[in-house]
Amino acid sequence: MKMNRRQFLNHTCATGTTALTSVTALGSLGMMRSASAQTAGDYRALVCILLAGGNDAYNMLVPTDGPQYAAYSTIRSDLALPRDTLLALNFPETGDRTFGLHPGMGRLAGLINSGDAAMVANVGTLLEPFDAQAVENGTATLPVGLFSHADQIAQWQTAMPDQRSAVGWGGRMADLMQGINLANGVSMNVSLSGSNTFQSGRTTNEFSITSEGDGALSINGYDEDSFFGDFRRRTTDSLLSPTRTQILRSEYRRRFRDAIDANTTFATAMQDAAQLQTTFSANGLSQALRQVARVISARDQLGASRQTFFVTVGGWDHHDEVIQNQARMLPMVSNALEEFRDALVELAAFDAVTTFTISDFARTLTSNGRGSDHGWGGHHVVMGGDVSGGRLFGDYPLLADNSVLDVGRGIYAPTLATDEYFADLALWFGVSDSDLALVLPNVRRFVASGSGSPLGLFGG
Amino acid sequence: MISRQSLVHATILVVSLLLGACGGGGGGNDAPPPVSNPPPTPAPPPVSKAEIDAASRMIQRASFGIAYDELESAAQLSPETWLDQQLALPATYHRGVMEEVLSRRARGEFDAFEEDIEYLIFGRRIAWWHNTLTAPDTVRQRVAYALSQIFVVSDRVDTLEIYPYALNTYYDLLLQHAFGNYRDLLRDVTLSPAMGLYLSHLNNRAADPARNIFPDENYAREVMQLFSIGLFELNLDGSPRLDANGRPIPSYDNDDIREFAEIFTGLSFGGPGAFFGNRDEPNFSVPMQMFDAAHEPGQKQLLNGFVVPAGQSGIQDVELAIDNLFNHPNVGPFIGRQLIQRLVTSNPSPAYIERVARVFNDNGAGIRGDLRAVVRSILLDPEATSPADPLTVSGALREPLVRYITLLRQFKIDSTDSLVAATGYLIQQAVNQHPMSAPSVFNFYLPDHTPAGPIADAGLVAPEFQITNATTIIGWPNVLDAIVLGDFPAETPEGFDPVTLDFDPWIALADDTTELIRALDSLLTAGQLDPALADVWIAELDAIEDRSFRFRSALWLFLISPEYVVLQ
Repeated sequence: MKMNRRQFLNHTCATGTTALTSVTALGSLGMMRSASAQTAGDYRALVCILLAGGNDAYNMLVPTDGPQYAAYSTIRSDLALPRDTLLALNFPETGDRTFGLHPGMGRLAGLINSGDAAMVANVGTLLEPFDAQAVENGTATLPVGLFSHADQIAQWQTAMPDQRSAVGWGGRMADLMQGINLANGVSMNVSLSGSNTFQSGRTTNEFSITSEGDGALSINGYDEDSFFGDFRRRTTDSLLSPTRTQILRSEYRRRFRDAIDANTTFATAMQDAAQLQTTFSANGLSQALRQVARVISARDQLGASRQTFFVTVGGWDHHDEVIQNQARMLPMVSNALEEFRDALVELAAFDAVTTFTISDFARTLTSNGRGSDHGWGGHHVVMGGDVSGGRLFGDYPLLADNSVLDVGRGIYAPTLATDEYFADLALWFGVSDSDLALVLPNVRRFVASGSGSPLGLFGG
Repeated sequence: MISRQSLVHATILVVSLLLGACGGGGGGNDAPPPVSNPPPTPAPPPVSKAEIDAASRMIQRASFGIAYDELESAAQLSPETWLDQQLALPATYHRGVMEEVLSRRARGEFDAFEEDIEYLIFGRRIAWWHNTLTAPDTVRQRVAYALSQIFVVSDRVDTLEIYPYALNTYYDLLLQHAFGNYRDLLRDVTLSPAMGLYLSHLNNRAADPARNIFPDENYAREVMQLFSIGLFELNLDGSPRLDANGRPIPSYDNDDIREFAEIFTGLSFGGPGAFFGNRDEPNFSVPMQMFDAAHEPGQKQLLNGFVVPAGQSGIQDVELAIDNLFNHPNVGPFIGRQLIQRLVTSNPSPAYIERVARVFNDNGAGIRGDLRAVVRSILLDPEATSPADPLTVSGALREPLVRYITLLRQFKIDSTDSLVAATGYLIQQAVNQHPMSAPSVFNFYLPDHTPAGPIADAGLVAPEFQITNATTIIGWPNVLDAIVLGDFPAETPEGFDPVTLDFDPWIALADDTTELIRALDSLLTAGQLDPALADVWIAELDAIEDRSFRFRSALWLFLISPEYVVLQ
């Protein structure tokens, strides 16, 4: 289509004034008595896998029926994957349209076809349902910094495409729900990838662990029963006693004390973590998911009834060599997901854990001669025992030269908002319908209050 | 549990091996010295502890730190004199170090080791670390580092990490202008290929509506939001100007961004054979070159009614746009406040910001944007130099990276190699911070980050707490074990000699625990250690017989203490 990109991009910038109201509304969030998930005992976990850099999802999930494969092949030109290499998926709802998975993702194809995982098509950051005419007229309201890594990778984590915010929707869930876990200093939000936006709340931060050992860090020697250990403990404690009052020093002292205590609590709980029979590959994603499974196995010792986990896998910004890079990296994701499923089944926790992917954006359908550039809507994986597996949620766009969704260079606008995708996940996790807008501030632009799960990802 | 135990045992083993080595006569000057005359004692003209503490406080803010004997000398000068000596030193640039590493590589010195590409990355990192750890112009190096956290580029973009001159050249530009004029700094940042690549105005072309091509707005937005004027109009004291309804007034709107985006068109890599659209053969050693054929030719309506006429050359357009931003009244308070935060205190009073902004607006000789005068006014302001009061909010949490560098300089890091070839991985793994490696253009933390709890309740900000979490806060004492107990101050790549610290004079001083604590308090906490805590430590440390372990334990305690981590 011929669209007015000038007008289009004009509206991708926000001045920050609209931001003020929603931030103020969120200010009361931490103090609010929440209706969300008050019952302990029904453990649930969300595992967020961030494919950082913008996965070229149109080569992960590919149309395979004759007309659409032809359209795909034309528009992707030298980036098109051969049709006979694609792994057939048996989606029940797509009729004459058929789809295949990237040839390196055999294990994910198995997970989908066996009903343990599903896919969500063409989801992206939106502030209103995409309207090509409104974009053409310059009247559309569009995300801040569309197509920019910094903004888009953040907005998938904040669920606030209308502004730049340091608070994530996982953090806002923890602000609401941390109280249903045992108050032992270990956050509901556990990160295998350090500080991140998704898990940063206003009152709750992530608890950061590593994939090595039992994950916790503690001061060398602090827990040891020895001369050295006793000395370390006494002297360290001496400087952490809350006697002096300079406000920044007090905050540092409090965080230091909390970090020592939370790590000790965590390490103690992890002594009972399962020795998994499932073997995991050696790469970072598999090892991180292995540690997540071990933490989940120690959930009772941790007093956790709700947890989120965050894992980043970087290196998806394939302006160059997209074919070779995806052939190397997508199998890693596929294998890690299957290993994680096996471990959770081993722990009898697969029904209690939902794993989902996010990414900055998908990429241009057109080629730049070496790879693909920054796009918008993309396709994602959701896995878990409660997921209505084997299905394709959302609408995979009909690929065509004159597609109304094509905003230029084969950048397809999303037909599903991240708010809708996240609403299903948050509601399953236990956020009440009345609290949903506290977690996803823009959700009412897409999902009416009281209308339940917009996608039906679970229990369908 | 096993791994932790073995780590501690390994640490103790390292320490005992070290002690064995020291006792074995390998070190040379290791005979127990007379108690009365250990090396770090005052030089002939007596200087009071209060004077040393005051010098230590200013120097730790202004620089990456100096050793105790240098501190004693510095304390004999007035703060103005010491600072002016520093401000007069020539800049130590990074390019020369990079060239030395590349020439060693060309001579085949690294052939036996890792892949070439790692040595390209090492070279850039060594240039930064060698200079930062050894350069005499440490105030300039410190201010350039502060500027690198305002004018952010990051090696998380692969091209910037891999091309050897990409980030060196950029950092040299910050060093060059650190005590120069802000206008020159802003222009050279704008024309830097590293910035052009990072914020995508490199190869940004004039609109071609028929082909659906319109100028990229990325740099246009960030140069206003982050590098010059900020989101809202400011009073001279940094407070937001309010409209009739009491709401902040945006400094610019979407139309302004579009107009500035047109200004920043037509730039590509420069150098011999340059052409617009070049991506494959980047030249990071020279500024971007303007290609007028790719520059948007029309009139541009900039801020405050300023109009750039149609038909000028692209570079003329850029110069006028830089003038337009430079002369905006926000720049003084906006940039001034952030430099105060980086060097002195997270929460400067409005009056402090106003004093600095006035100097930015006029250095006393009618010149606007004189950064030398701005830095001087920040460090010598009464709010910075008046005695520290633990009941006030003054001070800032020191970044872990700055703590680490300061520690190494204070204890005289050295190498038998001509280069102190640290690469920064040791500290980066522990605290997730490295120069020019921020996760985004928003730096490691935001100037207005406010941790929930007492700090937010008091309406204060504390940016560095944004990277102070359960991992990094424990990572710090543990990485100190390697440095302080394990004699492993930094990792060096194969092909370079290791680096060392000089603890010997301090170990000698440790015969007298009270004297040791007193000297460390001056060097590290500028006299701010709680006397009650000092008494507790002296009792604990006196129970340790081994002088080396006594000193090392004392140093470790200082470095993790709230009084050190938050310098007032």
